[in-house]
Amino acid sequence: MMTRSTLLVALMLAAGAVCAHHSAPVFYKVDERATISGTVTEFRFSNPHAILKFEVVAADGEKQQWTAETTSPSILRRRGWSQASFEPGEKVKLEGMPSLDGSYLMRITRAWREDGTEIGVPPGTNN
Amino acid sequence: MRALNAFAALAFGLAAAPGHMSAQAPQNHGIAGFWSMAPGPTPPRRAATPVETELIAQFRAGAVLLADAGATEFPPGDYGSLGVHASLREAAKTYDPENQTDVSLTCRPPGLIYSMQGPFPIEIFEGRDLVVIKLEYFDLVRIIFMNETQHPDDWPHSQTGHSIGRWEGNTLVVDTAKLLAGTLFNNGVDYTEDVHLSERFRLADENTLIVTQQFEDPGSFEGTAARIMSFRRGDDHVYPYDCDPTYGLAIDSRRGPGQE
Repeated sequence: MMTRSTLLVALMLAAGAVCAHHSAPVFYKVDERATISGTVTEFRFSNPHAILKFEVVAADGEKQQWTAETTSPSILRRRGWSQASFEPGEKVKLEGMPSLDGSYLMRITRAWREDGTEIGVPPGTNN
Repeated sequence: MRALNAFAALAFGLAAAPGHMSAQAPQNHGIAGFWSMAPGPTPPRRAATPVETELIAQFRAGAVLLADAGATEFPPGDYGSLGVHASLREAAKTYDPENQTDVSLTCRPPGLIYSMQGPFPIEIFEGRDLVVIKLEYFDLVRIIFMNETQHPDDWPHSQTGHSIGRWEGNTLVVDTAKLLAGTLFNNGVDYTEDVHLSERFRLADENTLIVTQQFEDPGSFEGTAARIMSFRRGDDHVYPYDCDPTYGLAIDSRRGPGQE
């Protein structure tokens, strides 16, 4: 069994404002934020929540298949997101709420491309 | 330009035709337009503004002002001092919130009362006989009959029910019945289809719309529940929600410790 400390990525937990859809507390630690980097394998931009699948390589080389969801795409459109925001094979860094059960699941609040460019604008900027 | 002029002439001509389109002629109480939930808490989680104070003063005696408007929601077992019936509190102990991602439930709207206080935009169209409110959340569309005074006995129950409205000065007062049972709190307690909703829509200023809701449902709780929401005007429109029921499959198929 892998432990989280063996991950290549660093999970940095910090207090943060809640920006949640109604179901977020069911799966996520809504008062915490974590960052994680990986390679996009799939992106689906549809309501009620967009789904981003991505692969993270752990310290021992294990490839972990992560799932991340967002707030409503109709809201994200006002923040500059679209179906074209992520392409398979692209490396991204994500900030979001970690899962309650420790699974490879998170709720995205912000996202950046490999060159540091933010995807869209942060919550509260234009929504 | 010629096409624009022709459109304008057509529009004004129809609006001026007595007994034809006049029932739909635009009215102007200032509430029409796109409104998104203002960021931050609303009363009782912060002090009320003067307009909010006036609206709260119009609540029925003993109304419980709930502190869950907007993105906030009560955790399991918390009902905001509302007298939820003991049988429902007991039943809520077995509520499994992960059912929300079930394909059969993912795209089921939680109910009008809950949807109106969620963190999604609304768009209001104001006519003489109708006020139409489009909710971005689950594509709900409300029709408020300004030319009716009673709820028809044979009106079918639905997600948006039957709404009648009137203007009290600059305040739109809306009364809604015939709602399907829906989410009272997102922690396992629902209201019944006998719920009765009263709302007030009032501009605090040109760009701020205050909405209050009061509702009673003897089948699920005692007395009156109330909420107050604040919306800010935007230059936008609501988008189609077009819910995808397979969303939950991605969540349910997550991997990681304890999932295999």
